[in-house]
Parts: sequence; C-alpha cells; structure tokens
Amino acid sequence: MPERNKSKITQWWRKLNVRHSLGLPLILLVLTTVLYFILQPNITRSGTVSRLLTSNFRTWLPVILVTIGQAIVILGGGLDLSNGSIVSVGNVILALTVTTPDEPGKNILMVVVVIAFGLVAGLLNGFFTAYLGLQPVIITFASSFVYSGLALLLLPSPGGDIPREYTSVYRSTQFLGIPLALIIIVLVVLIWTFFRQRKYGRFLFAVGGNDKAAYTTGVPVTWMKISTYVISGLLASLAAISYSLLTGSGLSSSGDDMTLASITGSVLGGISMSGGAGSVIGAVFGGVILGNIRNIISTLKLDSWWRTLVNALLIVLVLAGPGFINLIRGKKK
Amino acid sequence: MKSIVLYTEQIEKRFGGVRALRDGSIEVRSGEVLALVGSNGSGKSTLTKVITGVLSSDGGTIFYHDEPVTYNNPMAAQKAGIMAVYQELSLIPSLTVAQNIWLANEPKTKFGSIDDKTMNEETAQLLTLFEGTFQSSLHPEAYVLNLPPDERQIVEILKAYSRKPDVLILDEATASLDSKQVNCLFDLVQLLKSENKGLVFVSHRMDEIFRIADRAVILRNGKTVGEVVISQSDEDEIVNMMVGSTAGLSRVFSNKMDFSDKETILRVGNLENDRLTGVSFDIKQGELVGIGGLRGQGQSSLLHTLFGNDQYTGTITLFDEELDFDHPKDAMNHDIALIPGDRATEGLLLLRSIFENLHLPNWAKYSRPLLRMKRAYSDAGEVSDQLKLVMESLDSPVSNLSGGNAQKVVIGKWLLRTPKLLLLDDPTKGVDVGTKSEFYKLLGKLQQSGTTILFYSSDEQELLDLCERVLVMQDGNVKADLSGEQLTEANLVFYSMGATNNNHHNEESAHA
Amino acid sequence: MNDNNIQTKKKFRISPPATALLIALVLFLLSGFLPNGFNDWASAIRQGMNILRLASFIAIIGAGQTLVIISGSEGIDLSAGSLVSVGALLTYILINGNNDLILPVLLLVIVTGGLVGLLNGLGIMYLKISPFVMTLGMAGVVQGAVILVTKGYYDGKVADIMTQIIARDLLPGIPGMIFVWIIIGVLMTLLLERTKYGKQLFAIGVNRMTARLSGVRVTRMVVLTYVIAGAMAAFAGFLLVGYTQNAGPNLGNQYLFPSIIAVAIGGTQMSGGKGSYFGTIAGAIVIQLITSLLTTMQLPQALQQIIFGSMLLGILVVYGRDKSLRD
Repeated sequence: MPERNKSKITQWWRKLNVRHSLGLPLILLVLTTVLYFILQPNITRSGTVSRLLTSNFRTWLPVILVTIGQAIVILGGGLDLSNGSIVSVGNVILALTVTTPDEPGKNILMVVVVIAFGLVAGLLNGFFTAYLGLQPVIITFASSFVYSGLALLLLPSPGGDIPREYTSVYRSTQFLGIPLALIIIVLVVLIWTFFRQRKYGRFLFAVGGNDKAAYTTGVPVTWMKISTYVISGLLASLAAISYSLLTGSGLSSSGDDMTLASITGSVLGGISMSGGAGSVIGAVFGGVILGNIRNIISTLKLDSWWRTLVNALLIVLVLAGPGFINLIRGKKK
Repeated sequence: MKSIVLYTEQIEKRFGGVRALRDGSIEVRSGEVLALVGSNGSGKSTLTKVITGVLSSDGGTIFYHDEPVTYNNPMAAQKAGIMAVYQELSLIPSLTVAQNIWLANEPKTKFGSIDDKTMNEETAQLLTLFEGTFQSSLHPEAYVLNLPPDERQIVEILKAYSRKPDVLILDEATASLDSKQVNCLFDLVQLLKSENKGLVFVSHRMDEIFRIADRAVILRNGKTVGEVVISQSDEDEIVNMMVGSTAGLSRVFSNKMDFSDKETILRVGNLENDRLTGVSFDIKQGELVGIGGLRGQGQSSLLHTLFGNDQYTGTITLFDEELDFDHPKDAMNHDIALIPGDRATEGLLLLRSIFENLHLPNWAKYSRPLLRMKRAYSDAGEVSDQLKLVMESLDSPVSNLSGGNAQKVVIGKWLLRTPKLLLLDDPTKGVDVGTKSEFYKLLGKLQQSGTTILFYSSDEQELLDLCERVLVMQDGNVKADLSGEQLTEANLVFYSMGATNNNHHNEESAHA
Repeated sequence: MNDNNIQTKKKFRISPPATALLIALVLFLLSGFLPNGFNDWASAIRQGMNILRLASFIAIIGAGQTLVIISGSEGIDLSAGSLVSVGALLTYILINGNNDLILPVLLLVIVTGGLVGLLNGLGIMYLKISPFVMTLGMAGVVQGAVILVTKGYYDGKVADIMTQIIARDLLPGIPGMIFVWIIIGVLMTLLLERTKYGKQLFAIGVNRMTARLSGVRVTRMVVLTYVIAGAMAAFAGFLLVGYTQNAGPNLGNQYLFPSIIAVAIGGTQMSGGKGSYFGTIAGAIVIQLITSLLTTMQLPQALQQIIFGSMLLGILVVYGRDKSLRD
C-alpha cells in the first residue's frame, strides 16, 4: 500500500511541476506563508489566523486580480502594460461618483461604467496588437499613459469618499472565517478553470506556444489574442472596484505599481514570459507570495528608507530568476 | 483503373517575377499512391501548397470529387478532407503529443469540456501504428518540446491521419525518420490505400518511391513532363525525365585547371550538428567547388558552419590551422566570406541604403575614428561599377532594387574585402539571366586571382557550367564527389536522389 | 526588391523631422496669438529661446533613448527618468557649490549612469528579459537607492559656473544651455552617422541576423548602447540641476515619457533601424511647445499626458505598418 501511494504522489508532483509549472511556486508559497506566520505575535490565539487572512487578502485582492489578467495575456503570447492605469481610472470614477448609499441605482450604474471601461480598453489593446499586428509592449505602454492621464485629469488630488456601508462589507465580511476577498479569488479561479478545460483554454496555450502553427491547425488566433486583452481589462476593472472598496477613497496613482506587480507575480507563479506555459493558479500563488514577502519585510522593521529599494530589488531578482536558471542550464549542456 | 479523387489542371504560381509553376497537372486516384518527383525548382512543393490552401494559385484549377474548388486558407482544405504532412512542423512545443494531435479537433465530454482521457486513449491507439520504433519518451502526455525530430515527425503524421483525410499528402515526410519508422509509415499508407483514400508522396529518395508508389508524375521547371507506372519503370527513366534530354552539356569554362600540385587549404573532418551527419572533404587552393543536391540537405548549414555561424563537432582546418570559430567575425578575420541564401533575411538591411549595405562588414577599415566618407563612397562606387549595379544612387534604399541587383549588393559587400575563401549559398536564386552571366564572369575572375570558392547551387545546370568538381549532398552528408567525366547532370540528380541502381523494371524491389 | 510587391514609397514625402519642425513652427506662431503671447520681435525671440532651453533637457534625455530605440528588438530605457534624478542629486550634493569638484563629480555621474546601463544591457541580452521590463525594474531599484541614500534630507548647492552656463545667458539673449545642446547635437549626429558604432547600431536595429553574418558583434553593441544611454541620462541630470537649482528624487520622472515621445515624433521608428537625433530634437521642441501651450491656456497637466499618449498611439498606427519590410 505505501508503495503505490508513493508513486501516486510523485506522479502528482511531476504533473504539478511539468504540466502547470507550479512546483517552485507552491514551495515558495508554503515557505513564505510559514515564515510569515512564524513572525506574527500571538499566532496561537484563536481568531488571529482568521483576522490575518482577512486583512491580508482584502489588501491583496486588487493585485491578485490584475495578476490573473496579466497571466492570461502572457499565456497568449502578449503583455499588458496598461492594466494598472485601467485600475486608476476605475478607482477615480468610483471615488467621485459613489458617494452616498442612498442612490443604489446610480452606484450600480457607475460600477457598470467602470467594467465597461475596462472591457473597451482591453478591446482597443487587442485591436491594435492582434488585429493591426503592432507590438504589444509599446501599444499598451502608450495606452497606459493615456489612461493614467485620464485618471489624473478626473481626480487631480486624492479625494472621494466611498460610503462606509460598502467598504465595511468588503473589508470585514467572512464566511466561516474565510474572508470575502479570498472567496472572490476562488470564484474567479473556478470560472477560469471552467474555460480552461474547454477549447478556449487549449487554444490559448496553443496560440501562446506557437501562433503560426496554431493558425495552420485552424485555431482562430486573432480572436484569441484579442480576448486575452479584454479579460485583462475586465479584471483590472474588478480590481479597481475592490481597491476602491478597500481604501474608500480615490487616488489617481492607485494603479501605478500594479502593472509591474502583476508581471512579477506572474513570473513568481511560474508563467513563462515567452507564452504558452504556466497556470493561472500560479498567478494567484505569485500574488500571495509577493504579499507574504512584503509583509515579512515590513515585520523585519527595516528602516522605512530601505523599503522602496528592497521592494524594487525583489522585483528585479524575481524577473531575473528564469533568465539565470536558463543560463545555468545552458552552461551545463 | 482507380477513380480520380483529385486532379489539378495547369496550375500556375508566380513569386514576384519568378514562375515557380507554369503547368502543374497531376491526377490523384483513390486507393493509389502518386509520387510527385522533381529536382530543385521543379515546383513540386509549391504545387502541394496550392492544393492544401497554404498558397493561392495564379492560374489553373483544382478539381476535387470532380468539382472545381478553391481553398483560401489551410483550414478550408482540411475541412474538405485534404491533409498534408510537411517537413516544417506545425506542432506546438509547449503542448503534449495528444494535445497537438487533437488541436482544434478535440473530443468533448457531456459537459462540453475537453475529454482528456479519451484524447489520451485515442492517442495511445494511434501511437501503436508506430509501435516499437520510438523510445519510451514518446507517449500521449509527453511534451513535444522534449521530443527528437523523428518522433516529432511521427506526431505530425498521426495528427494528419487522425483527421481522417480523403487525400493525404506526404511532403518529404520521411526526411527525419529512420528505416523502421519509414516501414510503419508505409504500413499506414497501405492501410489508407485499402480504405480507398488518395495519397500523394513527395520525396527525394528513389528507393522509397519505388517501394511505395503506384505511379509517379515528374515535374521539371514548373511543368508536368510525364507520368509513369512504377511497376513498369525504372530509376533511369525517371531521372531522364527529371533532367530532360539535355544531359551532359559542355561547360562554360573549358580551361581545365590542374589542381594536383596545389596545396590543400581547407580540410573538413566529420562535421556534425543538427543538420550535418558527418561531412568530410578537402579543397585545394584556387578550386571552384560546387555543392549540389536537393534543397534542405544541409548545404546551408555546412556553409554557415564554415563561417562560424553554427555550432558543430568535428574539425575544420584552414591553411593548416585548426579553427575554432565562435562568431562570423572570427571567420572574417581569417579572410572567409559568406554570401547567404536568403538575401531578405540574412544578406541585406532592407531599410538602409545601398551604400550602407555595401560597407556593413567593412566600417572598421574607414574608421579614423570618424568615418572617411569620401573614401567609402568612392570605393562603393567602384564596386558597384564593377558589378554593373543598376541603381538611382548609392543612397537609395536597397529595397528599391530588383532581385538581381539586390543580390549584387550582397556580393559586393564581400568583394570589398578580397576574401581568400568565398562561400556562396545559392547566390543566383531568383536572379535574372543577364545578372547570372555577369556573376559567372566575376567568379571566373576571382578564381583566377587565387580565391578559393565553395558554392552551393540548387540549379544543376549552373553547377555543370561553372564547376570542375561537385560535392553532392543528401541527408546531411556528402554522397558523391563528382569531377571530370563523372560530372554530368544525370549523375548529379542520380546521387541527390540517393539512387543506387537497385531498381529496374521487371525486377522486384529488394526491400519491404 | 520590387518583385515582392513591397510598398517602398513612404506615405510622407517630407521627412518626419522636417514635418515635426513645421508643426513646431505652427504651434509657436499660434502661441503668439494667445493673451500671454508675444507682441514684438524681442519678446518672441525671448519666448522662443525659453522654449528651446526647456526643450533641450527633453532632447538630451532623449539622446540615450534615441540610441536604444534605434537598436531595435523593442529597445527602450525606462530607467532614464530615475537616472536623471540620480545625476542631479549627485551633482547637487557632492559639488555643493565648489567649482573645483565639477569635473570629478561629472565623471562619477557618468560612471554611475553607465553602470546602471550596463546592468540593463546584461539583463536584456544574457537573461533575455524584455527591455521594457528590465529597465522598468531597474528604475525602481535606482529610485529606491536614491531614497535610501538621501533619506529624504539632502543638502547641497549648485556650482556657480554651472549656473552661469546653464541657467543664464552665455551670449546676450541666448541661454548657455543652447550651446551645450548644440554641442551634444553635433556629437550625437556624428556618432550616429559618422562612426562605425552608428552604422552598426542601425544595422542591428534592422536585422540582427544580417548584422551578425556581416561580422557585427550584436551582444556587445546592445550592451554598449544601454551603457551609453544610462550615462547620458545621468549626464542630463547633471545639467538639469544647473537649471532647476535644486534636486529631488522625482526630478527626472516627468521627463521620461516626453523623451520617448520626442523620439517617436522625430521619425525614429519604434521598431528600430531607422531614425536620427535631429528628429529627436525636433520632437522635443514640439513636445515643449505643446506643454507650454497647455500651461498658458491654463489647461491641466493631465491633459498633456493624454495628448502625448494618444500621439504615440497615432504614430505607431501610421508608421508601425513598416513591419512588412523587415519580416
């Protein structure tokens, strides 16, 4: 009996690692989570874990959402550098318009507007890159400037006040000790898994792996690529909504750091930058790992002057990681 | 006589000014294998690509099940039941064998999701068709990324087969397969024959053609020149049709140069890499050696390897010094020059001017450290006069030039350096007759001034006209070293097809 | 080669830099009609000089940017902004008003910028990280290092000579900065058009395989280009502080995107292989004019971002089709 179990476990591990590139991310996830919890005082007291989960995940949700979107774009062979700025625009719109709980109709309408904005922005990105064939990096870079300019235009200085009735729901709702934010993540992952198991998922990996071969085999490459940018835009809108509910206010630079964070999270989660390999669950892992590391760094009580540098070094190290690994592998040959 | 499932009438295809096909007419019968035979430039690959919708035709008609059809893209042809297996693979490396085979054709579960289990099972079934010919690394859930070329080709074949085609075209599909795998492929072909499917077999291997084909249609210079029934024909007949009635011409250079007392300057020993399988030969000072054989047999790789642009194992000795090149610049420093095969992607900077293209390898010479432009312009002017370059001015973009003139620029680049060893990768492909003859004169002059030349051409006539010695390559190796009386067009074609005179009509084929 | 039916005729008969200058002239004249505009030759020239001086900074930061963009393969340097800040801070703090220290500090500034550029180049070529991601990451590191070192408190002073040359007029009516700019312009143009480096740079921007097969050491060229770009960005910061008389960790950020757009407006192809520094100069002037116009019309600065971003998108759509020539 133990013999059979052992081979099943190795099989599962191999599948996890090779097929989904989740081996290293999973290890990092476990390590950083354990490390994080160890560093917390009063960890054994009841309710602490739940409290920590809630406060962490509600803060991480926006970044994890854009990371998922970015992962999907990267899987399809592209890159979206405008997702952060879409978040900024969404946040600013909500902060300016959702100011009282007495107008639920209007509030819902504004949420729809934000979502529509994300979809349209994604569609434009997809149109320029997939349909016109222009380089994704420079197109989404240019878009990001237009959108962050728009956010700045709408809200030149921080402000806005989202009603406590809404923010408190986001911040403190729990089901059986599990925070709302985490439930939303699980939901998004489930929805994605549904599509991943169907033709869409297969086509996505085909397009990201070798778009010419995919085309010859009958995969609708252009549509697939456009769809990834639309999804990224949609998730950025959702991130904007959750960010607004988190902070309760508007900031035109709210999404600025999210773009790079979404790329870093994707790399940490095992997504290959050249496309066609990785897993969206990895993106979630990546986001959590990044969050854990940031938390660990702050508990180390470093001089606050170190913080920006350490965070930036962290990002560069993660981005350089796959390159180093390949370099070493290449030398071994 | 079996019924015709697909036939083409006078298909024409032009690429710019070059007519790759002028009369492509073939008849594919149900339950039969038609071999499509032709040497370089015959148009056979072009014809198959037109049939499968990869290329559009400029004239002629395809008839499928007696209806005229047009396919604007590969998907349309596939839907109609016409599949092809090419040598350039259409696989996604990051997906598994099963995922690749069933891409865009996946079995679904009741819930609409992809039925991986069935997919893997069916794939395992398909793989049994090649049982015993591959390593355990090839199984439904293996990633194509990790597979060697022969196993990838097997996946490619199974992918086409799984879609149950009515017409299956195998375009050089045996190139990467070993003999056991070829046996399995041929069993598959027999199976399809028994199911009354139509099969087209494009190959450069004579022995395979005689094993598996029922008929053979021969193309030459883009035209169908004849069709034979295999059981009633032999290699010589086919070779003669490929070559035309003009076998064994006299050469342009009747000055027989004697090289027996010249030094060997280049010695190549057992070169191997992903395209070469153990090439060895010697070249003497001042020789003009040709490389022949059908396209894609490793000729380019050989030249690139000699130029330091490809990795290799084996030895290269130049002027008694064993070389270890890392980068083309090393080769350049040893006075070697390479004129690459694809001028658009390897030989020219399309966005830049003729002047800049001409001097790309040479700027160091003019660097003082600011460039001496006057000198550079005058040198460029000299070379372009020497080459009779037809252009508006040295500053016009090189993309404005016609094919022949653009090729002159590629050549001119290297003339300015007076190389000692000149490597040429099919330099007159797509070049007009006038430019060709100027080019031949140039080569002659270079040879007389002591340059050693190694020169791959896909045009057998050209090799015969220019070279006293030709190395014929097939499957990454030099199959024959022809010179003197041996150097005839028939022999060139013969050895590039791997023919061995084992197949004569009225004799049974020795294999099976 | 015309037998492939490739479109070789450009859409614009006039070269892009000339178009840019034309636009600049039109904008300048327009600005004259505004309430704060000039009403005589003297004030027109004064305003013009001011615009040129402000534009010069964009153009000098854009110099390194021009080089990396010409090098192709999505080359871009997003660390330029933070390197400007570094250069400015080092100059401000270390010179501290002491004229004798100008040259040594200048050397230090250039070396620092060059080192960061070296890291960028190595990451891009050896670790195969895309230029956008690599330089963006390094920008954060540089920014973080600046914050750490200055800890929000820094003390310094600009040397007199520098103030004299950069902020004030060297000749009556002509700011010294213009002369600096002219020198840099001449050097950059010589570099691009009259040196082996320049010719090889254009080559690797068009087709790296052809370049390699013609003996160009592509990896070395790319790394060198990023080193130069880094050094130039830091140098730009060195100059900038002479004008602003103050330095801060965020000084350079506002120049980053304008520098990229200036390159694009000037006709340098974002995909590489074609362009000129003269174009970047023209582009910088256009950018500065638009900025000044918006300020004069009292329009919010955010609008500037939207306009520039849209301009870049427009340029990409119109010029970007040239891809067919290189495939």
